[in-house]
Amino acid sequence: MSETADAVYTPEHAPVLVAVMNNRSDFERARDEGWYRIPLKRAPRRIAAEYLAFYQTGAFGDEGCAVNYFAPVRRFQVLSRGELLPDQPDHPRAADLYYRIEIGPLQRLEEPVTSPRLRRVTFIPTTLGRLLAAREVNDLWQRDDVQERLWAALREAGLLAEYRYQLGEPPNETLIDFALFCRDGRIAVLCETTPDPDPDLRERRPADYELVAGGWQVMQLGEREINENMAACVDRVAALVRQLGGQAATAD
Amino acid sequence: MNPPIRLGFAVKVLGRAGLKEHDSRRWQNNPHLSVSLAYLRDIFEYLRSQQITMYRISSDLAPYASHPDMPQFHNQLDECAAELALMGELAREIGLRLSFHPSQYVILNSADEALTAKSVWDLRIQAELLEHMGLGPEAVVVLHVGGVYEGHEPARERFVRRFEQLPETVQRRLVLENDDVRFGVQDTAWIHARTGVRLVFDNLHHHNHNPDQMPLSDALALCLATWPVDVRPKIHFSSPRTEMRIIERQDKATGKRVEELQQPVWTRHSDFIHPFEFIDFLRAADGLRPFDVMLECKAKDLALLRLRDDLARYAPDLRERVT
Repeated sequence: MSETADAVYTPEHAPVLVAVMNNRSDFERARDEGWYRIPLKRAPRRIAAEYLAFYQTGAFGDEGCAVNYFAPVRRFQVLSRGELLPDQPDHPRAADLYYRIEIGPLQRLEEPVTSPRLRRVTFIPTTLGRLLAAREVNDLWQRDDVQERLWAALREAGLLAEYRYQLGEPPNETLIDFALFCRDGRIAVLCETTPDPDPDLRERRPADYELVAGGWQVMQLGEREINENMAACVDRVAALVRQLGGQAATAD
Repeated sequence: MNPPIRLGFAVKVLGRAGLKEHDSRRWQNNPHLSVSLAYLRDIFEYLRSQQITMYRISSDLAPYASHPDMPQFHNQLDECAAELALMGELAREIGLRLSFHPSQYVILNSADEALTAKSVWDLRIQAELLEHMGLGPEAVVVLHVGGVYEGHEPARERFVRRFEQLPETVQRRLVLENDDVRFGVQDTAWIHARTGVRLVFDNLHHHNHNPDQMPLSDALALCLATWPVDVRPKIHFSSPRTEMRIIERQDKATGKRVEELQQPVWTRHSDFIHPFEFIDFLRAADGLRPFDVMLECKAKDLALLRLRDDLARYAPDLRERVT
């Protein structure tokens, strides 16, 4: 199969899974041997894609905290860790099953997709069009109209939010619509839209009391409020940010 | 007490954006069954989250697997044996009943031997996919009788002959559905009597093509009786589309494209299932052996979820019997 065919196939709506690359040996395997692994037990709800892209963590120095590369997906296999990494036969998880995702050659993005506030990133399902146009990782998410307008309004007001901020690990993770990290606290903005664009997201909505117990300040914004009085919504968020000492430089 | 009636839907998921049903890349980009299975796995996770326990898999799951000029795609099932087995495990864990419904190009009784051979190849692939997943006899491949060609009776007889020549794996998985213009329940029953093939009853097809005026409950009972006692039968249910149709045609005088309104035809599927028709249907089936229902409608899983809500509102006793 030709490499050229993979290289020219870049449809805008092709599904992309952004995965985390947190060590150099995994990166070298992806680059030199053409595969990436995801443990079955911790696989996200969506793994299938025509492309894999890699969010490289801070372990990669100058290239870290950004998506720099993507590659076409060729094949999925299910193998044990022992089969994947035969040089580690005595590893305690040698019998655990993994998805081995075979990929084509890594392609470098023209511009890296950065995480300016160093947010914690796990798996992000997106599309090739979004990946190629994204400036930062928050741009990778598909948002509904209401959330897209709120996102743009917050950004215009200089409020730096993290979209779909994940708490916990798959399959029990929950997602905060917009998370803002301040010097003296954290804000969870939850949008109440009807109907929810993805019924599954309802399941992954964190409970208010859990967020409060975890030290979050919770703000609920209704669809009507966002549609009819966006300025007031943004003012409320801004006021709470000021109350919490202004925004922190990093998202943690 | 009988297990609940499963409601299912076909192929495309509308309730969660971006879920694909198979690897649709063209051959130049090396699509693969394993990638389709990853998409299917994501769909299964969605079905689990919605407690949907019946689903029709895309017939294009194994891309180009029966393309005569592309041998590089012919070995995909063996290449994916482990992944298929894992998908079967996942289906059992969720309690999913799965099926295939090959495209209209799969015609077992075709007068064209080459088309028949290609059809058998497609049927074999779909049956073997279910086999590789280790699924029980409830997992079936649903087919229509096919074309009429030189005559109704010879066409039925040819179906029987071809069925008898099918590989055993295909014979075990194949079930036969009455259609809406050519072969009704009397015909599928005639074929059942000669082959033992199980019959899937389709309510809308029966309303559209019932030359013998067989009452619906009789036709349903006849089809259900063709299933072994230890295998839950399934049926297809749909509501007719009632809207005016917008037909685009070329104006002969001006050569321009013009739109024209036409009355509906009753063979087309509606977006959602008409709840009152469905309730009446289930009430009419009271006393018959239990069955599962594949909903055929354009709103897919959204229609299934809406039907559950409708049943809860208009027929709570039936809602308790449906999953």
